[in-house]
Amino acid sequence: MGKIDMTAVSVIAANLQAILGLNTQILPVQPEPEYAFLARRGQYDGGKILHALAAVSDSSQFMLAVVSVDIFTPILTFVFGESQLGGKAAVVSLFRAKSKNLEQSYNRAAKIAIHEIGHLLGIVHCRTPDCLMGFSNNLEKLDSLPLRFCQACEFEARRRLRHLFGEPGVKAP
Amino acid sequence: MKSSTHIMVVDDEETICEALMAWFVKDGYKVETALSGEGALEYLQGNDIDIFLVDIKMPGMNGIELLSRIKEKQPAAAVIMMTAHGSIQTAVEAMKLGASDYLCKPFDPDALSLLMERVMMQKTLQKENTILKERLLEQQEEAADVFIVHSEQMRKIFSTVDEVAPSSAPILITGETGVGKDIVARAIHLRSQRSYGPFVAVNCGALSESLLESELFGHEKGAFTGAMKTRRGRLEMADSGTLFLDEIGEISTKMQIVLLRVLEEKQFLRLGGSSPVSSDFRLITATHRDIPPLIKEKQFREDFYYRINVIKIHIPPLRERQDDIPALADHFLKRYVEDTGKHLEGFTQKAIEHLISYSWPGNVRELRNVIERAVVIARGYIIGTDELKFLDPGKLSCETPSGTLEQIEMNHIKSTLASCDGNISHTAKKLGINRSTLSRKMKQYQLTTLSMAK
Repeated sequence: MGKIDMTAVSVIAANLQAILGLNTQILPVQPEPEYAFLARRGQYDGGKILHALAAVSDSSQFMLAVVSVDIFTPILTFVFGESQLGGKAAVVSLFRAKSKNLEQSYNRAAKIAIHEIGHLLGIVHCRTPDCLMGFSNNLEKLDSLPLRFCQACEFEARRRLRHLFGEPGVKAP
Repeated sequence: MKSSTHIMVVDDEETICEALMAWFVKDGYKVETALSGEGALEYLQGNDIDIFLVDIKMPGMNGIELLSRIKEKQPAAAVIMMTAHGSIQTAVEAMKLGASDYLCKPFDPDALSLLMERVMMQKTLQKENTILKERLLEQQEEAADVFIVHSEQMRKIFSTVDEVAPSSAPILITGETGVGKDIVARAIHLRSQRSYGPFVAVNCGALSESLLESELFGHEKGAFTGAMKTRRGRLEMADSGTLFLDEIGEISTKMQIVLLRVLEEKQFLRLGGSSPVSSDFRLITATHRDIPPLIKEKQFREDFYYRINVIKIHIPPLRERQDDIPALADHFLKRYVEDTGKHLEGFTQKAIEHLISYSWPGNVRELRNVIERAVVIARGYIIGTDELKFLDPGKLSCETPSGTLEQIEMNHIKSTLASCDGNISHTAKKLGINRSTLSRKMKQYQLTTLSMAK
């Protein structure tokens, strides 16, 4: 959505395919989500973006929006991403993931996306150290996490993917 | 732990409730929401919540009011207050009322996760603490079982113990040596509100005056030759617990004056120290001596006696509560059988009678030692009089029998028959009468040899 680094979007799509085995499809760039902008906070409401995304009629199981603006929830000052637990829509913000090191930026974006897709699969935050489903409250924590789930979350993700698709195969924007 | 933790979010703004609920659900908690304080209280009827997140500013019942209502209904619950308008004064008020923490909306993700970690840690410790307390209580009950009471006198003592234990009033326990004054003192401590505090016992009779002083009050480094480092005294160690001073009748009048002042002021100085030390303890004292005559002889101060003798518990000697002897003997037998691994099933009737008729000058302690010795020397499966031969026969009590002449005669024949294992010839010989006279008397008193043979 909006003015976006398409390389980041491609990296996210490739990682979702490689790590979770999801079939991904990149949809045309949509306009900036101005409907979600809150002037008082100078940020975009992640919840409103999710609502709009979930309402889009598309046959895909999951819809993942990638935005370059800073997003928030009514209770948190900012979030790296937001998603509906066990639902259809998720959003990833590249705003705080930005780094002078491009590889690091893309790595962060991929981690946020996989974490949010984990929520769409119904997986909650994990307390196992070095699991991507752990809650990242800052960039330091996000950078310290590997690009994979722990054994238990991995098993759960595979189980839910099998339940949803039989065998891997799905589209995502 | 997390999935079983039940959280309730109370905020009049639906978006806040929804957003918090979504976050907590993703974090693995079970979450409820309420849009008002009244709604939250309604849910609390019959439901338990571990952690509350409560908005301070709400129409109707505000967050502060809800906080105090929650603390009334569920004191163990953690309550985190939230506000969009940070005000130190309200925060202080909330913390005074028992809130766990205070957050300004919107929260920094770092602050929220750190806070939740801290609250969860507190809840875990709280739960662990409850479990440990329950376990301790079970152990305490087991320890109290050691005090076997069958006699009416001891039952009365234990009902007194139950009555006086919760208060902090000083208790004086009197009784002969070996009756278990220390066990009663410990039982009082275990049943008191100080049971989680320490139980510190000092035997005043075993220490010289200067040693006792240093033992009780502690000393500062260099207070006297050999005082290499500062040492806490027993009075200090007993803080928030019970101090048990055994053989209080042995302490000097000078020490009585010092202790009296400590009891009045609850403060004292370490030897060589200049700053007062406070200690909050319950005092239990014990003595085998009769104090009032000592007061007359000016060996014991009257004011100190009245200070320690607020509640008096007298434990009668074992010979005055013979009903307890078989039960105690059984109890000690089981204990020593376990310790030694011997297969002993009990006592013969004669052995029990022998134990009952003994005067027990050393009381329960002596009985325990006798049983221990009997278990060690026993060769069969049962302890008989042979194993108790070492009991000093001179200390067998010679009670004057009471009752009519006929009753006395019947009882004497009965006990002699029992001691001869129901053998008529032996019994007759022992009683100094012939067999036919014995048979006639047994018929008269309806005694049979079968019931006598043990």
